[in-house]
Amino acid sequence: MEKIKYLIIGGGVAGTTAAETIRQQDPEGSCAIVSDEPYRLYSRIMLSKPNFFLEKIPFDQIWLKQADWYIQNNIALMAGKKATALDTAAKTVTLDDGTALAYEKLLLATGSCVRRWDITGAEKQNIFYLRTLDDAKQIIAKVKSTKRAIVIGGGFVGFEMCDMLRLANIDVTLILREPHFWDPLLDEHSGKLIEVALEKGDVKILHNSLVKEVIGGDTVQGVALQNDIVLPTDMIVVGIGTYCPIEWTAGSGIKTNRGIVTDEYLAASAPDVWAAGDGAEFKDVILSEQIQLGNWANAQMQGKVAARNMCGAHEQFRIVSFYVTSGFGITIAFAGDIRPAPEKKIVTRASADGRFYGRILLKNGKLVGATLINGTRDLSSIVKLIERGTDLSEKCAELADPSFSLATLL
Amino acid sequence: MAKIKKIVVDRNLCIGAASCVLTADTVFELDAENKAIIKLKGGVKSAEPAEKTALEDDAASDNTLLTAAQSCPTRAILLYDEDGKQVYPS
Repeated sequence: MEKIKYLIIGGGVAGTTAAETIRQQDPEGSCAIVSDEPYRLYSRIMLSKPNFFLEKIPFDQIWLKQADWYIQNNIALMAGKKATALDTAAKTVTLDDGTALAYEKLLLATGSCVRRWDITGAEKQNIFYLRTLDDAKQIIAKVKSTKRAIVIGGGFVGFEMCDMLRLANIDVTLILREPHFWDPLLDEHSGKLIEVALEKGDVKILHNSLVKEVIGGDTVQGVALQNDIVLPTDMIVVGIGTYCPIEWTAGSGIKTNRGIVTDEYLAASAPDVWAAGDGAEFKDVILSEQIQLGNWANAQMQGKVAARNMCGAHEQFRIVSFYVTSGFGITIAFAGDIRPAPEKKIVTRASADGRFYGRILLKNGKLVGATLINGTRDLSSIVKLIERGTDLSEKCAELADPSFSLATLL
Repeated sequence: MAKIKKIVVDRNLCIGAASCVLTADTVFELDAENKAIIKLKGGVKSAEPAEKTALEDDAASDNTLLTAAQSCPTRAILLYDEDGKQVYPS
């Protein structure tokens, strides 16, 4: 059985950044990445962006590593293979082709998968999800022959897909289960601001709506809603969330919840096993709770820290997570922990004309998160204030004043 | 690492993910189109390539600039050395 010093399961940004970091620490030790996609590292964040979708930038810009990077750095990329079993006592991982690999140190950077629709007719052709490069390739091909599209779900994927489809001049209907966009993460006012922008961009929005059934033969012809209204369509893009593929670790003794549970050093509950990226449910030292995040910055930083710890460091993972997107003439930014909770106080920070609308979430007087519509100028200060844990309980009036510079609180 | 002389943001590639802003907010910010621009001396902001000497003094070390460029999820930040050679992406 081949023995690998540093075995990484997952070839996305967390796993690849980890391999790169390991090489900086240990130029000699054998290192392999197992990826269930048949590709080298690409920019998953770019997949949902209109410039990529509409082929306004060269396709090859998607690659973040050249093929020879792996060779030059002596990193074995085992692409198109899936890990199917983990034995933490014998320290082995088995792949779907039957190969067994022994490891000294193991990193689980298996990311997240899209949640699939489970309604009648969901198996028909021209229903798309967006997670992988292959998913994106299929959508890019279909967009060229589409007149009408339906987008399911109000989140980042739904927003960005609406933008791309409208730029491609396709009629778009967005179907939301909730009463407003991004409920309950965003309040009604923020959600409506996004919806006004979408509607200005000629996206039709249906609220409180559930699809009962997909209609058509082998291919999609429309959807029937629960109120029996039928909407014809050529394609459907479904963005209803993600889950972490952790079932293959069952029986390994590794503690899992929604993701792979780790401590603040990103170490899992078995010796010499770490986790990083979307699939890690880590102990957040800033929030003092177990959390799991699905974004690029977090995955990249976790890959770095986990790798340093695999090489013998004892470094806590510490990050304030953020995500920004734009489209339809607005920007949407989330920072820190934005989950609403009764113990969190929300300060509204908005301009008089209503164009800028921010919500600052405080817990025990400390800033823990923020949602900003057209307010990315505040993002950097907010992230630093979250990081520092400054007591702002006496500063609510200033936080609420959009002309007050948050940088002065630093 | 070679000394960094010039910083370029490719606006076609920039998606406004803000990772450069969070790494080096003395150098980068997002403009009204949600694209990264470069902060120069005296509060001037530029979407054009910038010489490092045009930044505020001590705005960022070469290491911080490299970290900012590496954090970009679309590799939209390009760094050049004194010989005009591209330092990142390498």
